[in-house]
Amino acid sequence: MAETRNIPRVVVVGLASCFGCQINITNIEAHLMEVLGQIDMRYWQLTSSDSMPEEFDVAVVEGAATTEEAMQTLRRVRERASAVITIGACAATAGIPGMAAPDWEPRVADVYGAQVPAIVGDIACAPRAVSEVIEVDYAVPCCPIDPHDFVRVLQKALYGGNEYDRTSTMCGECKRNERGCFYGRQTLCLGMVTKQGCGARCPNLGRPCNGCAGLSPDANLAAARIVAERSGVGAQRLDEALEMFNQESLRSA
Amino acid sequence: MAKTRIEVDHVARIEGHGDIHLEMSDGRVERCEFSVTEPARLFENMVRGRHFEEAPYISSRVCGICSASHTLTDILAIERIFGVEVTERTRAIRQLLVYGSFLQNHATHLFVFAAPDFLGHKSVFPLSEADPALFEGALACKALGNELCTRVGGRSIHPITAVVGGFTDELDASAYLELAGKMDAMVDFALGAVDLFNDFSVPGFETQGDLLAMVQPGAYPVIGSDTARFVRSGVEFDCQGIGDHIEEYAVDHSAAFLSVMREGSRPYFASALARVNASWSELTEPARFAAAKAGLRPPEYNPFANNVAQAVEIVDALVRCSATCRALAAGDVEGSSEPVGFEVRPGRAVGFTEAPRGALFHELEIDEQGRIVQASIITPTSQNIANLEADMRALATMLAEDGADADEVQLRIEQLVRAYDPCLSCSVH
Repeated sequence: MAETRNIPRVVVVGLASCFGCQINITNIEAHLMEVLGQIDMRYWQLTSSDSMPEEFDVAVVEGAATTEEAMQTLRRVRERASAVITIGACAATAGIPGMAAPDWEPRVADVYGAQVPAIVGDIACAPRAVSEVIEVDYAVPCCPIDPHDFVRVLQKALYGGNEYDRTSTMCGECKRNERGCFYGRQTLCLGMVTKQGCGARCPNLGRPCNGCAGLSPDANLAAARIVAERSGVGAQRLDEALEMFNQESLRSA
Repeated sequence: MAKTRIEVDHVARIEGHGDIHLEMSDGRVERCEFSVTEPARLFENMVRGRHFEEAPYISSRVCGICSASHTLTDILAIERIFGVEVTERTRAIRQLLVYGSFLQNHATHLFVFAAPDFLGHKSVFPLSEADPALFEGALACKALGNELCTRVGGRSIHPITAVVGGFTDELDASAYLELAGKMDAMVDFALGAVDLFNDFSVPGFETQGDLLAMVQPGAYPVIGSDTARFVRSGVEFDCQGIGDHIEEYAVDHSAAFLSVMREGSRPYFASALARVNASWSELTEPARFAAAKAGLRPPEYNPFANNVAQAVEIVDALVRCSATCRALAAGDVEGSSEPVGFEVRPGRAVGFTEAPRGALFHELEIDEQGRIVQASIITPTSQNIANLEADMRALATMLAEDGADADEVQLRIEQLVRAYDPCLSCSVH
């Protein structure tokens, strides 16, 4: 790719995750080269043997921070990048890895027993969202990300845009699909407190929402607990389910 | 070549973080480690106390490439505990989902991760100019795997529709037929890929340990059999008794557990190569012919041949999935895929599937309330690390004897690592 100063230089950094969001970027096969043609991809460890460069403009970060090295990488990324984009729930809310954040040490001992490998014991710490460590400019939500959302956010980071993030809950999107409600079937669904934007992908396919987009700023948790209680699902199940992708929101709520 | 030290931090073009440490003195290997530095996320602990329905959803997140395999393997363990018998139709669709992840994984591994080594590139992207037809074909093949997973599972990774008892949504006949047509159209490219990977020059070399694969009489099984076989020693076992045959242990340089056979503490290799060795005669005809033409037939113990074995499995998956899609469209597969009813009951069981990288086991214990008491995940890559280290050591020794310099040793060792197609996020989980 051309070494012109005007072309934005991009790096992709992977922390603790399933790598699915990075893989999902490669899953826009039809547009991949068009997207890459707009940027100077300086570093993408998943696909290349180059090492991370000193200078770049935009950093794309996947995963939760779970090591001191990861914290340092994030701070270095923040110093150098004019825009930081997180991709996926792990980076946005600590996601599924965040489930293990409370009582981290005993959990490590539980998995590894008496002989915790040095490489785990020496470096690991409780998972944190990227936004807990550094300031984040843009976040592509969900687990995994929709690659088209990534393209949209990347465009915004590169060229700007006047589109605001929508704050309403997924429940409204789902109602417009007219597929009925899980609460009528005594089944828990997190759509009423989860940020909209996915088009109710899971409910459309018969699965309730697990909240991977994160809590909506408009979420009324107290009201949601009442609905869960009245429908026979139980408020406790609702709170438990929120632990999957929203550990941090629950802690700070 | 007196003292040689090879250090590779963060081996590129593999899934996850791993380092190579190799020290040689006068042709003798003094230290040889494949250090898995991928951060521990503690999945086995995090599902404890969770409701059984959440377990497959959570374990899917172990890995973005093998997500369908982790979901289905958890589901199999849960169904075994509850005594759930699913329909033929559900079984067929589950097989489609597994093969969808085979197509995704093998195409990504072969073209994005492995091929640049042999074509002299640092990444797949220069290929778009060097060989546009191959580049386009590779992306299309990977896209077809994504499409199969998306159509069947609801999205390309972390399937939505697969649940205990069946599927929450299913395609209509026309969508199955459309998929079948796309599978058929991809076969020629896949046959070419077998030839391409067979043409790449690799060292003559034999893996140090055994090979492990699921087996079933008259089938090339990837899901649905409980029997595993160590190919070289011929030892077979039922997956419910995995602890009697496989020993997991921790080492300081790896965040992933390592595994050996209990019999003789021998390392082993779970992989496409193991499957091809175990069930070669049950490959579909076009895949078997392609394998024969490429000289891949049992016994084949060269770990570099895993690349060719994956290419053969792409052909096999396309042919099989096309037939399955047509059968599903025609209504020739019995039952409905709608989840069957079941009752929660306590117990312990092992789920077993062939993930793209090899044999995958999930052991679950569930209490009366349907909550997870204990979980154990044994992934193909964690099973393979001990054998990979043994192979790295043997290969470095062999190359040194042939007078190879440090650069060549490093290149070949990295190629070996990539031929194993390790998935380090899986291995640590």
